[in-house]
Amino acid sequence: MSEGDQRRAGEQVRTSPAENHGEREIDHVLEALDPDRERPHDVVLSKDLSLSFGDNRILSGVNIEFRRGTITALIGPTGCGKSTFLRTLNRMNDKVSGFRYEGDVTLEGASIWGPDQNLLHLRRRVGMVFQRPNPFPMSIGDNVVAGVKAHQIAKGKQLDVVAEERLRQVGLWDHVKDRLNDSPFRLSGGQQQLLCLARALAVGPEVLLLDEPTSALDPISTELVETLLRKLTPALTLIIVTHNLGQARRTSDNTMFLYGGKLVEHGPTEELFERPRDPSTEHYVTGRMG
Amino acid sequence: MVAVGDAATGGTPPVAARPSVKRDPLLQRIRTGVRANEHHLWGWGGRISAAAPFVALVLTVLVLAFKAWPAVKVNGAHFLVGTDWKPGSTYGAVAYTNGVPHPVGVSYGAWPVIAGTLESSGIALLIALPISVGAAFALTERLPRWIAEILRYAIEILAGVPSVLIGLWGALTLGPLLANDVYPFIASHVPDVPGFSYLKGPVGHGEGLLTSGMVLALMIIPIIASTTRTLFAQVPPLPKEGGEALGMTDWEVGRRITIPWVRSGIIGATVLGLGRAIGETIAVAMVSGSLLATISPNVYGTMGTIAATLVTQLDSAFVDGTGFEVRTLAELAVVLVLVLLIVNILARLIIRRTGNLSAPLGVGL
Repeated sequence: MSEGDQRRAGEQVRTSPAENHGEREIDHVLEALDPDRERPHDVVLSKDLSLSFGDNRILSGVNIEFRRGTITALIGPTGCGKSTFLRTLNRMNDKVSGFRYEGDVTLEGASIWGPDQNLLHLRRRVGMVFQRPNPFPMSIGDNVVAGVKAHQIAKGKQLDVVAEERLRQVGLWDHVKDRLNDSPFRLSGGQQQLLCLARALAVGPEVLLLDEPTSALDPISTELVETLLRKLTPALTLIIVTHNLGQARRTSDNTMFLYGGKLVEHGPTEELFERPRDPSTEHYVTGRMG
Repeated sequence: MVAVGDAATGGTPPVAARPSVKRDPLLQRIRTGVRANEHHLWGWGGRISAAAPFVALVLTVLVLAFKAWPAVKVNGAHFLVGTDWKPGSTYGAVAYTNGVPHPVGVSYGAWPVIAGTLESSGIALLIALPISVGAAFALTERLPRWIAEILRYAIEILAGVPSVLIGLWGALTLGPLLANDVYPFIASHVPDVPGFSYLKGPVGHGEGLLTSGMVLALMIIPIIASTTRTLFAQVPPLPKEGGEALGMTDWEVGRRITIPWVRSGIIGATVLGLGRAIGETIAVAMVSGSLLATISPNVYGTMGTIAATLVTQLDSAFVDGTGFEVRTLAELAVVLVLVLLIVNILARLIIRRTGNLSAPLGVGL
């Protein structure tokens, strides 16, 4: 039973009180311990979201919710607005000239564009990993804690602890523990991407946005990253843009299919791939389009 | 395309044969005839052009050193550490030291102008580097494009202003203004801490070390700023976006990512500017006071630099019938070349030390 299943069991308890007390006690305990129990299930919520650059409308009327602790894959042909949608969620598009949005995106119930929302703090809560590894021009160790330093989460010796823990989490520690002061540019592409993942995790985000994180990696590194992503739930909510349908199937709980400027279909991954409701979804997932 | 090597070699997979370079008529034509000559012309022309600057430098230094050698034999180590500048009695008796004729009573010590050169260039660098990097950062990252374009042209025009004009402006306008309104304020407001004593004391009349440093800074800002601007423009967007997505402020992205990304290039640009400041002649001659044997006690006092001394003393040097003072100026010129050389070597060492953490050349993410 995965941790995700446990959570779902816990949710059942919340909606219908248990009759069989002995069997359900563990669920009560778990629920009492669950730090997220007071919080809404939908971490990120997109309400009637429409995005455009100048007169060019990219997406219109996107309604979707991202449940806590799940992985959602965003699929669709090139130019369908996957990346634009993803980059809206941490407001990376805000400074692009001509960018306009209608509707709203909420993070735990509060609009990400709300007046009380601090952009820097929002980006600490909503992390991002990019298409290609983008290490900073500083040592491997400094790369991991760059965000931690910027947000003043830890300092001094604590930084070393954070760096080690995050590097262990992404499985890079044994490779780099003897060269934390070396340049990250001598690592392989896959290792660089893991380093960027460790860097994003180091600030303790709640949501992690991944923009085709493995498109520049070889199959073995890709598998490493995918395995790692599975391990990050349910502590994190992941939203992953991918061109690789196999990856979407392997890693995600839910899938959303964007096409023609609209959210055509979304649902549990298995269902969307096996029994797509929309013909264009079927065309895409069966390889006849895209 | 012909498949070869299947049956004959016993089971090796068929390999598509590449068209042979030797047999391809088009490639043959490139390797023969007119085009081959053209090729050689480019090759030799390129080699000669590439060697020319190096040959010119070596020849210049050799001629200077040859001219200076007798003066080295007479002046000795005193030339580098001494603080006096006595041309001797020009119309008096001629003496011989180590077989070199020179006027009686000469004593040349160039330490004050060597120190003056390092001090004024150092001050120029302290002022120019932050301003240049800041300006370059604002031009590439902050300002609207049309304002940035206008300012970019302004910087390029400033780089082309003849130094004599800047020197004249420094002597007539900037110097008096600073001496009347700025220096007294600084001198009376610096804290009484030992390190700051150079900022206290008499402020002079506007000719001197700090004014020279500021005039030099004005001259090297365009050099460093325009090079750094080009460097910043080449930093790929992905690492910068990575910083933003991590919740860094624009300032942090600049300080931790953009500037380090091109750190070795900025050091190179700085050395270019520093070289200009060390070698700058006429503007410094106009605003420094052009003294020969005085090390200024504070940053306001009059002083001299190697380059300025060369131009201000050359006329009177020709009066020396033995030619010794001209030889001494040649020796001073050799010292100037050595100072530039040392600065360049130091810069290379710094780049090597810091370079291994910045991005490898040609990394375009």
